[in-house]
Amino acid sequence: MALPGWMLYLIHTLFPANTRRPTELGADVLIIATGAILFYILIIKGRWRHVWTEWITTVDHKKIAVLYLIGALAMLFRAGVDALMLRTQLALPHQGLLSALEYDQLFTTHGTIMIFFMAMPFIFALFNAVIPLQIGSRDVAFPRLNAMSFWLFAFGALLLNMSFVVGGSPSAGWTAYPPLSENVFLPGVGQNYYLMSLLIAGIGTTMTGINFVVTILRMRAPGMTLMKLPLFAWSALMTSALIIFAFPPLTVALSMTLIDRLFQSSFFTLGHGGMPMMYVNLFWLFGHPEVYIVVLPAFGIFSEVVATFSSKRLFGYEVMVASLVSIMFLAYGTWVHHFFTMGAGPAVNAFFGLSTMLIAIPTGVKIFNWIFTMWGGRIRMTVAMLYQMAFIPTFVIGGATGIILATVPVDYQFHNTYFLVAHFHNVLIGGTLFGLLSGMYYWWPKMFGMKLDEHQGKWAFWLFFLGFWVTFFPQYLLGLEGMQRRMNTYPFGLGWHMLNVISTIGAFGMGAAFLVLVYNVVWSLRHGERDVTGDAWDGRTLEWAIPSPAPEYNFARIPVVNDRDPWWAMKESGATLANSLSASDIHAIELPKSTPVPFLLGASFFLFGFGMVFSWWYVAILGLLCVIGTLIYSGFNYEEHAMLSADAIRGTEASLGRLQA
Amino acid sequence: MSLPLAEEETGLAPGLPLELADDRESIKITGFWMFLVTDVLIFASLFASYAVYRSRVALAPGPAQVFHYGPVLLETLLLLTSSFTVGLAIWAMRTGRTRMLFFWLAATLVLGAGFVTSEIHDFTSMVGQGLTWHQSAFLSAFYVLVGTHGAHVTFGIVWAVTLLFQVARRGITPVTARKLYTFSLYWHFLDIVWVFIFTFVYLGGKIG
Amino acid sequence: MAEPRTAPEESAREEGLAFLEPRVHAEGFPVAQVFGYAGSIILTFGSFFLVTRHLMPPVVLLAVILTLAVGQAALQLGVFMHIRESRGPAWQIVPLGLAFFIALGLIGMSVWIMMFKAGVS
Repeated sequence: MALPGWMLYLIHTLFPANTRRPTELGADVLIIATGAILFYILIIKGRWRHVWTEWITTVDHKKIAVLYLIGALAMLFRAGVDALMLRTQLALPHQGLLSALEYDQLFTTHGTIMIFFMAMPFIFALFNAVIPLQIGSRDVAFPRLNAMSFWLFAFGALLLNMSFVVGGSPSAGWTAYPPLSENVFLPGVGQNYYLMSLLIAGIGTTMTGINFVVTILRMRAPGMTLMKLPLFAWSALMTSALIIFAFPPLTVALSMTLIDRLFQSSFFTLGHGGMPMMYVNLFWLFGHPEVYIVVLPAFGIFSEVVATFSSKRLFGYEVMVASLVSIMFLAYGTWVHHFFTMGAGPAVNAFFGLSTMLIAIPTGVKIFNWIFTMWGGRIRMTVAMLYQMAFIPTFVIGGATGIILATVPVDYQFHNTYFLVAHFHNVLIGGTLFGLLSGMYYWWPKMFGMKLDEHQGKWAFWLFFLGFWVTFFPQYLLGLEGMQRRMNTYPFGLGWHMLNVISTIGAFGMGAAFLVLVYNVVWSLRHGERDVTGDAWDGRTLEWAIPSPAPEYNFARIPVVNDRDPWWAMKESGATLANSLSASDIHAIELPKSTPVPFLLGASFFLFGFGMVFSWWYVAILGLLCVIGTLIYSGFNYEEHAMLSADAIRGTEASLGRLQA
Repeated sequence: MSLPLAEEETGLAPGLPLELADDRESIKITGFWMFLVTDVLIFASLFASYAVYRSRVALAPGPAQVFHYGPVLLETLLLLTSSFTVGLAIWAMRTGRTRMLFFWLAATLVLGAGFVTSEIHDFTSMVGQGLTWHQSAFLSAFYVLVGTHGAHVTFGIVWAVTLLFQVARRGITPVTARKLYTFSLYWHFLDIVWVFIFTFVYLGGKIG
Repeated sequence: MAEPRTAPEESAREEGLAFLEPRVHAEGFPVAQVFGYAGSIILTFGSFFLVTRHLMPPVVLLAVILTLAVGQAALQLGVFMHIRESRGPAWQIVPLGLAFFIALGLIGMSVWIMMFKAGVS
């Protein structure tokens, strides 16, 4: 039976030969199974109405935090599986599990997803869950924009992930340097997927940056001056400022590549005067600040965790703030160290080598301050604290190898070897991921009202920590032996064999740690120790003064802050908020209303992106019109808020035992 | 003892213009300034690309042969005047004169539409002469820098039309005043960008 | 109608950031706008005049007209955009100043970095 022509065209475009290999077919089976489970839960069990009203249309920062967290953990799984496949391929010389193209696609999606769709949403999950509570606010500055950011992230992630089974994955590395990423060399739709998904998610990220800068500058509780701001909030402010200043160059670089690919301009082509190195320049103008975007929140988390679990005030608050601010400034002056070997000349390279080394100073100051905070404190070895303790030596080693790489002549030797790969995994996992996991264990009671089981958490921690070092320490040695990154296989007899085997064993240890972590989460959701006090860890900052999980309105009354650790100071003077409010204290509160606009905007952008990826202009134009239509509809909608009556609040507070009889 | 409770504010603060008097609306204005910051960086990246690609003309003509100064001067005059009229519209809004606000906002739209028309005409005639962005990196950078500004102006026109409908329906309230004020910020910002395009791209092209 | 919790001036001083104290423009006859418009026209067409008359060597000329452009940007920000108006501290001044500084560095450094003489072109 012959199929009609348009159907054959669709099949060949959407499912070309490189999406019909065993790995992709395996993914297809997984997707269909997940889809069936979702269909069962939503349609057969009739939960779609609950999901729609409570989650998809929500603008509540606490629920958006949960959505971000689910997204981040799912993406950690996907990109982690990529990593395990890469390590399996590299375990033995002349391994033939993956073809060169498959290997390229996997390391591309591994890097892209880990940075943009795992680290970023994980950070935003914690920002959303904690920042408004910590600064004594009822929500972020722009709740609806916040939901839009989430849905742009979600649909961007969907677009990138579907590339694996529909049309073909990108394969030019997470940096996607031209001329390789140009049409001449990679004519398929893979690179379009990369560009569109990052552009769409990037809009969302920029909006989140704007949102949190304004939230922290304008929505602090009375009395909380900038020098009384908790350090996690300070790190969120600096991170958001970095996002605002760093994402525009990325948007421009990606747009130019997209115009090159789809509309034949000549920015990064080899002919017509184009210059691929300009892309590299613009990309790292974003890329270097991005490194600090993902690591500053971890610094903030550690500053909170170390003070709480040492039962001590943070050592050197002013210096900690000053070093955060100076890291934020210096982060803009170092981007060339990612391409010293481009050949920009000794003056340029010397300037950027020195500016890179300068960053070690404020970072070192922070390390010492964390250690001095622990000094003489009563330390409690919780899982969050364990990650903090593991972070300090790990990050110091990662930073020290960074200084080695910042030395220009040495970099000419190490550039693009496994030494570099080991270095950036050392800082990204040892800094960012340890920090985020620490924050997850620390704030889990505040987000969900129960603790994650400490015993299982410690298993996950040790597996992860040891797995990490077993994976990446051999890679430093491999780099010194001359093994290049992004090579899909290697011959016998170079002395790389044993080190690669060890590294792969370590990677599977980290994979096992992830499984324990998931078990820990699932087990604790059912059997975890409930947090009835709202103050699970004997905390210091304002978020621990309210119930866990926080009620919809966060604070029935906004407090006045007079201390850097307001909740701790209050406990010192023998007080609890629990019995302080009388019924007459409580008034009605105006809260933002749920709206489908953010979800619809994300879906419209997805349609637009999908049309652009396949160069189906009618679909793209339709998507763009949907975007504009949604924005106009939103502009004419003046009913953004609804009142929550005083009686409803009194009922909630009474049921939480926080109302005077 | 417990944490002291803050007196929560309601209503409008005295002594401030309408768009700043309401706390929530004034926060949105701060947010819009932050958006302008991101836009400054977008245009900075485009200007950096143009600065690098200015001399990379390949086999196509360079800046001195490509630019027409007649239309550019006209566009500059139109945009500078529209910046003035939107300033007057905000002045009318703050003194509570709705009809005058409509007049100046409509004038702004007409001037903006004139600018976009002239620019599109200029671009199509250039493409008609075979000066497409495929020809050279210089032309790519030129079209994308100037075109991004033109797209911003076009978006601004659509935005302002929806604002006219909202003001016609609701009059000058804290919400509509804030929307008009952010629109004026956007429009003046585009004027600043144009001044730099005019100076660096067009006059710079004449200097060589 | 309740009083606002803090007067704008107080909160700027509370932060120790006196330069962020807002200043709201009085709105009578729009004198400032008229002068701002005249100023922008003079600056723009002045630089066009300078360029057409070739009064200076190219490098100096480029520097002069870019300075005039910066002057006009300041004029737009001050006269039309009321950059110091805010409720509470005029926070926008800080990121906007940073943005112009970083923009300048971005453009200047990019030109400096990309002057290299490598084989790729």
